[in-house]
Amino acid sequence: MDEKDLVQKSQEGNEEAYGVLVETYKTKVFNMAYSLTLNREVADDLAQEVFVKAYYALPKFKGKAAFSTWLHQITVNHTKDYLRKSSRMRLVPFEETKGGLSTRGDEAEKRDREEELAQTKKIVHEAIATLPEKYRVILSLRDIQGFPYEEISHVLNISPGTVDSRLHRARKMLKTKIIPFLEKEGGRR
Amino acid sequence: MNCNKAEKLFLRAHDGLLSEEETRELEKHIDSCLLCQKSRAEYQNIFDVLQKTDFPEPKPYFWERLRPRLNEQKTFEPWQVWKQWGLRAIPLSLLLVLFLASAILILGPQPREEFSQSGVLLFEDQSPLQATETVLDQEGVEDKNMMLIFASLEEQPGSRRPLP
Repeated sequence: MDEKDLVQKSQEGNEEAYGVLVETYKTKVFNMAYSLTLNREVADDLAQEVFVKAYYALPKFKGKAAFSTWLHQITVNHTKDYLRKSSRMRLVPFEETKGGLSTRGDEAEKRDREEELAQTKKIVHEAIATLPEKYRVILSLRDIQGFPYEEISHVLNISPGTVDSRLHRARKMLKTKIIPFLEKEGGRR
Repeated sequence: MNCNKAEKLFLRAHDGLLSEEETRELEKHIDSCLLCQKSRAEYQNIFDVLQKTDFPEPKPYFWERLRPRLNEQKTFEPWQVWKQWGLRAIPLSLLLVLFLASAILILGPQPREEFSQSGVLLFEDQSPLQATETVLDQEGVEDKNMMLIFASLEEQPGSRRPLP
């Protein structure tokens, strides 16, 4: 069964078909929410709410855009609503995910590099959290999740030209914010 | 090419949006500009960090946790129905009441206008002078005066004579 059929069956209220769509997109939706909130609990909850919202909005989905684009639109808008309502973004500390970091072994140099990378990640993500919402969202879509310009343009409902200029401004702002910290960190080592 | 344009171009180059000619121009500038070399390295550092963002997995049993939430929303909740329709009905009811009130005011029975005695006579197609003629036909002066007094009192029922 292809995606179109799954969407159609879900529109008719078939939960099994919707379950397949959820399995396909849960990670993408979760990652999008996580890249904006940096909190696993919150991102998981937001992802659940997005899928509930999408399920009830499915009858309105006309198939003009791809299902994934439509779902990403809901995710971005829902996460933006959450950030506006709670304003917790600045209070939530960056959660370091230790999955990819090895702490075993006695190679001190390697461990130093890993620590440095973790520290840089922390600085970069905390700097992103202080940016205005529209810049945070576009950085998340393009530079963290690697969405193509065209999809960003559809998800955010802005022209590709605006994607280009907003992204440029966001990157410049981020660099201005973090370079002093990175230089300070570099100076300590 | 100045450094601002170079910055814009190497960010676009990162997204793979540069033509060959633009790339050549950019490389030429960067080779001769230490500031742009430093700036490009800094951006590259940031991009590397962002691309290495570690995403945790969603919590386990995602679908199993989601499914009851889908059914929860389906159950009939009177408060939800009231919230959806009742609250919308309030302004509509107010508009309806306003419309009915104005319709009653405009189309309802008009209060009857009270006419003076001469007005009544006029509307009944009688000459107002007929009453005067009756008074003038009286032979006695006192009778005439008394009738004139009563006629004037009938014309102004609520008025009082001014005190001397």
